[in-house]
Amino acid sequence: MRRRSFVRLLSAASVVRPFQNRSDTPTLRVVSKYSPSATPGMPGPYPGRVISIRSDRSVDTATGAADAAVVHDMLAQGMRALTGAATTADAWRRFFAPSDIVGIKVNCGGYPHCVSAYEIVADVVGQLTGIGVPVSHIYVYERFQSQLDEVNYAPHLPGGVQIVAAERENRNVDNSGYDPATYLEADFFGEEDTRSNMMRLVSRLLTKIINIPNVKDHGATGATGCLKNIAYGSFSNVARTHQRGTSYTYSMVGALAAMEPLRSRTVLQILDGLRGVWHGGPFARTTRYVFYPRQIMLGTDPVAIDRLLLDIIDKERRAHGAISIWDRSPDSLRVDDTRARDADPNVNIIIREPGHVEYAATLGLGVYDRARIQVQELTV
Amino acid sequence: MTTLLVLALSLPCVYVAPSADGAASLAAAGITRVCTEADLAKREPLATPGTAPRPGLASPTRAPWVVANGWRFLRQPRAKYVYDLPVGKALLALAEAFAYEVDAALKIDPADARSLGEMWKVLAALPSVDLPVVSDFAVVDDGSAATGEVMNLLARRNLLFEVVQAASPRHRLNIRIGTPEYPREEAADPSAFALKIRRQLTDDQRTLRVYGSEVVICRLTAAANRARLHLINYGGREIEGLRIRLRGAYTGSDARVAGVGVLALQDRVVTGGTTEFSLPRLTTYAVIDLQSVR
Repeated sequence: MRRRSFVRLLSAASVVRPFQNRSDTPTLRVVSKYSPSATPGMPGPYPGRVISIRSDRSVDTATGAADAAVVHDMLAQGMRALTGAATTADAWRRFFAPSDIVGIKVNCGGYPHCVSAYEIVADVVGQLTGIGVPVSHIYVYERFQSQLDEVNYAPHLPGGVQIVAAERENRNVDNSGYDPATYLEADFFGEEDTRSNMMRLVSRLLTKIINIPNVKDHGATGATGCLKNIAYGSFSNVARTHQRGTSYTYSMVGALAAMEPLRSRTVLQILDGLRGVWHGGPFARTTRYVFYPRQIMLGTDPVAIDRLLLDIIDKERRAHGAISIWDRSPDSLRVDDTRARDADPNVNIIIREPGHVEYAATLGLGVYDRARIQVQELTV
Repeated sequence: MTTLLVLALSLPCVYVAPSADGAASLAAAGITRVCTEADLAKREPLATPGTAPRPGLASPTRAPWVVANGWRFLRQPRAKYVYDLPVGKALLALAEAFAYEVDAALKIDPADARSLGEMWKVLAALPSVDLPVVSDFAVVDDGSAATGEVMNLLARRNLLFEVVQAASPRHRLNIRIGTPEYPREEAADPSAFALKIRRQLTDDQRTLRVYGSEVVICRLTAAANRARLHLINYGGREIEGLRIRLRGAYTGSDARVAGVGVLALQDRVVTGGTTEFSLPRLTTYAVIDLQSVR
């Protein structure tokens, strides 16, 4: 039996399979002068632990509008549950001090229907300022300013919060926001520029990072959650890993996330599942593939959360009769045909690599084995 | 006197179609080498440099299809060339012809005269150097179109080669298309062929690497104690933070950037037998003079 068929069958049966590292992973060379902290932020103090908070009141599914008060309660209860702290402020103090310079990695790629929710980002900023972090020490960041401009967080946040990007837009002409001394080098397809550099903001300024990805399908990685958002959202020149039907994201996502100082400084994961995208991701230009999990997952372990995310996306796809994110069949593949992909959820344009989550576990970023992941369910 | 002559020769002559203000626009722009109709005759026409959409072969944002003439200059450095340029392309053509030091005529739109004149002054003021061209391997030229297209792809990827008529003992790698190692059928896909050569050379052994853009083509000249690096940006958009890696240890603190002036190089590192630095801004063209460190 060929490996592709093997993986597909196991997935369909929801069987836990032993991890087998693949022979087709390219050589990745990491260049960084930074050492890990005593307890790196990923997987942090709570490996394998996920707090899942649901509320049917969090989003009005008829309009897509979120309820800020409900979201506030979800986050507050979740943070207390995660840390065991008596108060919400104490929960936040477990991670942050007033002296910290805190980055909030949002995801704007799913504009207009599925981006890091204004309500979540605003509540996080409110909690940080509430424990004494100055607004000027808070940076909401993305790779592309054009995307941040579209989403426009500013009206939802206190004045003084920095909203910054590494590049003006996705044009591959603006490298000044990246650290030339901190990069991962790999040659995937024979591209000339073989480096992916970490954002200067991350390597040289921030002391802590909060990661706020969305529940989204992704055409190259299977799903884009904590790992993909923090990795591909903090480095340059990453789109080169997936093209012409082939994705090298299997090892690249985890390798980038594991690079210092990103790994040590990313201390909190907040998966925004108020809204979700089950096909066509990471984009959400129409509501056709949008759904409403009305759920937030909290933790410090990005692998554990993403392991659950894979099931969420696949379950929703099954509900719509779509092929699994684990599908590697050539019959489903229409290379570079984004129009066909957008029209038909049974079309892949690249063979997806949801195995990137398991691979990340082998780098010590968290727990992949579902049996070892402790999920605490809360309802608000 | 000699220097002036060299400088004058390395700048192309410029032609505008006869009109009421054509010649006047060149004079006003300070362009001193003006072509006549007769000068344009018997010159080899060149492609308009820049980028072009090539669906399936290039990515519009990441790695556009670059139209460049450097490979032709390497193949026939003594030929006489002519560009017939649409508006907006004169600067790039001037940069290309100047960097490769070829005898070229630029037939331009009068609307480009002023900006061309500004760049002209910058190039004319550059200190003259006479350094040999750096190459990492040789291509044995059989004069065929297939070999030409391979040269095109090699040049666009900043794979530094020397065009020779017979295998050169100076190089470990001599590429002769039609041999068992480099069959003609492989050269039918020049992109894959160029990649094969790159892999044989290895990136570590390449004298020059460019990070941060796929639309900048460089020309490197060097001797024992110094080097000059020309950077030509074919993309039409200014590039920030371009990273360069050169084999060898060099000092050098600034770049002359067309339309901008002198800019300090940033984040310079010399380690492991290589020198790296970043260029804060690259318009259409920049030149960097470096000194070797012993």
